[in-house]
Amino acid sequence: MNDIAIDLQQIFKTYKSGSIEVQALRGVTLRIERGEYVAIMGPSGSGKSTLMNVIGCLDRPTSGNYHLDGIDLSALDDRALAKIRLEKLGFIFQGFNLLPRTDALKNVSLPLFYAKVSPRERRERARAALAEVGLADRGHHKPSELSGGQQQRVAIARALINNPAVLLADEPTGNLDSTTSEEILALFESLHRAGRTIVVVTHDEEVAERADRVVRLRDGLVLSDTPTARGHFSGGSIVPQEATPQS
Amino acid sequence: MLDYMRETLELMQENLTRTILTLIGLVVGVAAIISIQVAAAGMAAAVNGAFRGININTFFLFPKSTQGSTQRANLGLSDLTLLERNVPGVETAIPFGQTRTIVSAGHQHVMLKFGGESYRRFSTAPVVAGHAISRTDVEQATPVCVLSSKAFSRLFPHAADPSTVLGQSVYVGPKRYVIVGVLGPATLSTASLGFDINNDVVIPYTTFYNDYQRGRPLFGIQVLGSRDATLATLEANSKRVLSQAHGGSIYQTFDFGFFTKQIDGFFGVVGTIVSAVGAISLLVAGIGIMNILFVSVSERTREIGIRRAIGASRATILIQFFVEAFVLAFSGSLVGMLAGLGIGELAQQLFIARISGTIAALPWMHAILLATLFATVVTLVFGTLPALRAASVDPIEALRYE
Ligand SMILES: Nc1ncnc2c1ncn2[C@@H]1O[C@H](COP(=O)(O)OP(=O)(O)OP(=O)(O)O)[C@@H](O)[C@H]1O
Ligand SMILES: [Mg+2]
Repeated sequence: MNDIAIDLQQIFKTYKSGSIEVQALRGVTLRIERGEYVAIMGPSGSGKSTLMNVIGCLDRPTSGNYHLDGIDLSALDDRALAKIRLEKLGFIFQGFNLLPRTDALKNVSLPLFYAKVSPRERRERARAALAEVGLADRGHHKPSELSGGQQQRVAIARALINNPAVLLADEPTGNLDSTTSEEILALFESLHRAGRTIVVVTHDEEVAERADRVVRLRDGLVLSDTPTARGHFSGGSIVPQEATPQS
Repeated sequence: MLDYMRETLELMQENLTRTILTLIGLVVGVAAIISIQVAAAGMAAAVNGAFRGININTFFLFPKSTQGSTQRANLGLSDLTLLERNVPGVETAIPFGQTRTIVSAGHQHVMLKFGGESYRRFSTAPVVAGHAISRTDVEQATPVCVLSSKAFSRLFPHAADPSTVLGQSVYVGPKRYVIVGVLGPATLSTASLGFDINNDVVIPYTTFYNDYQRGRPLFGIQVLGSRDATLATLEANSKRVLSQAHGGSIYQTFDFGFFTKQIDGFFGVVGTIVSAVGAISLLVAGIGIMNILFVSVSERTREIGIRRAIGASRATILIQFFVEAFVLAFSGSLVGMLAGLGIGELAQQLFIARISGTIAALPWMHAILLATLFATVVTLVFGTLPALRAASVDPIEALRYE
C-alpha cells in the first residue's frame, strides 16, 4: 500500500474563453499523505477551487500528473473517473448541495445507489452514517426542514458513506455561523483522529489553524506550504515547498 | 433501473398538473390510433363473416351496359354449358335472375325473393328438412322448390316442424311448386351489408328459365367456382370463352371482392384520417414530453451536478433521463391504449355487432406491444436531446455556488 493519498506533479490548468486565456493553475506540485488534514488558503481567484476540482476528478488538468491513492488518473475516461469519485472521494461544498426534494436518508444513500448497493443495505448504511453525524432522528426531513449546520452534517454523512480515501471540502463553513462552524470543525477533527485524509479550502485562518498543514496559493502557484502548530505536534513529515517559478 | 423508475414516478407526482397536461396529447394520439385499429379489425371480421352466407367463390357475368347490349351479347342456356365444359374450375353456371314476387301457401301471401338454384349450391345455409334441388330436378326442370328458413316461417307460421311442409305446394301466380326441402338459417349473410344474394324460395334454374326467361337473352350469368380456383383467373377465362363464342369482348364480371374492396377502401380513408390525427397528436405529445424533459434538465442542473460529483458517470445520467422519458411516454401510451380499446369496443357494440352479430376479439396483446413501441419511439425521438443535454451538464458549472 501507498502512503501518499494525493500526488500532484506540475499541474497546469488553463481556461480559454474566446481569445482570453486564464491560467488558473501554473504548475502546482503537492503531496498529501494518508491521514493528513490539510488546509488550502489563498486570496480570491488564486486557484483554490480549481485545484479542488482537479483533486476531486471533476476537472482534468491541462497538463501535469496526478496520482490518487496510487492510481494514475490521466489515462482514465469519464466512466472510470466517475467510479473514482464514487469510491475514493467524498465532497463537501459551501452550499451543501443536497438534493432539495429528497429526504436526508435518501440524500445520504445516493452514492450507494450509484455503487449498485441493494436498497435494504443502502437504508441501513445511510441510517448508520446519519447517526454518526448526530442526525439519527432527522432521516425523513427534507433539506429545507433542516438548519444549515444540519444540512452540512447530512452532506458530510453522504461524503463518508462510501468510506472514501479522501474527504474534500471547499469552504465548508462559509455559509455557517461561528457556533455551527465549530460543530462541523469538531466533526472534521474526530474524522481526522479516526484516520481520514481531509483537504479543506478556507478563507478563515481559524479554520486553517485546526488542520495539520496549510498550503497557500497565489496566482495559481503554491506560495507556501507549512505545518501548523498542531501539525508540528502530530509530527507530520512535510517538506515545505517553495513556489516554483513558471517557465 | 427500478430505482430510476421509482424516482421518476415521485417526480411525476410532484409535478402532477404539468405531467397530466403533457400526457394528454399522447393519450389522445394513442387512443385514436388504437380505437381505429379495434374498429377496423371488428369491421373486417364482420365483412368476412357476412360473406360466409354464400359460397365466396361466386362471380357474376354481365354484358357491358351499353344500349342493346343484352341483345347483342345474346347469352343463352348453351353458354352455361359452354362455361361448365370449357372453363376449368367452373363448377356450375346458372342464369342470373332474382325477382321479388308474391308467393302464396294456403292463406299466406308473402313478398319474397324468388330465383333459380343449381344442384351445386350457391347458398351455404344447411338443409334441415328434405333435400336441396337435385341434379335430376335441374336436368328435367321439375316444378319443385326449396324454402329458406325465412320463407318457411313466413309462409307456414303455424307449422311446428319444417318436415311437415314437405310435399305441400306454394304458388307464384298460377304456377305451382312442390316443396322438397327447407333450409336452416345461414350463420351470416350479406343481408346485413344491405343486399342479399340468397333467395327465399329457389326452384331449379332450368325451371325458372322455362317459366320466366324463355325466349329472351339472359340478363346475366351467376358462376360458382371450385374451392381451389382463383376468381380472377376464372373470370378472365370465362370472358375469353364467351367472347370467342359470340365474337367481341363485351362481358364484364363482378365478385364479392368488389364489395369488400369498397368497404376496405372506406375504412382505409377513415383509418388514414384517424391515424393522421393520431400521428399529429403523437408529434405534439412528443414535443410536450421533450419540453418537460428540457425543463426538468434546466431545473435540475444543480442536481445533475451533485449526482455527477457524487459518482454518476455521463452514461448513468443519460440512462436516468431516458428512463424518465420512457416512464412518461409509457404511462401516456398505456392510458391511451386503454382508452382506445374502450372506444373501439364501444364502436363495435354500437355499430359492428349489429351487422355481424359478433364482436372481434380485442387485440390486447397487439395493443400492449403497440403502446410499448410508441413509448420506445417517443422516448428515442424526443428523449434523446434532453438526455444528451443532461449528460453534458458540467458538474463544476452546476455546483458553483452563487
Ligand atoms: N470555467 C472557467 N472559465 C474561465 N476562467 C475560470 C473558470 N473557472 C475559474 N476561472 C478563473 O480561474 C481563476 C481561479 O479561479 P478559482 O475559482 O479556482 O479561484 P478561488 O481561489 O477558488 O477563488 P475564491 O476564493 O473566490 O473561490 C480565476 O481567475 C477564475 O476567474
Ligand atoms: Mg473557490
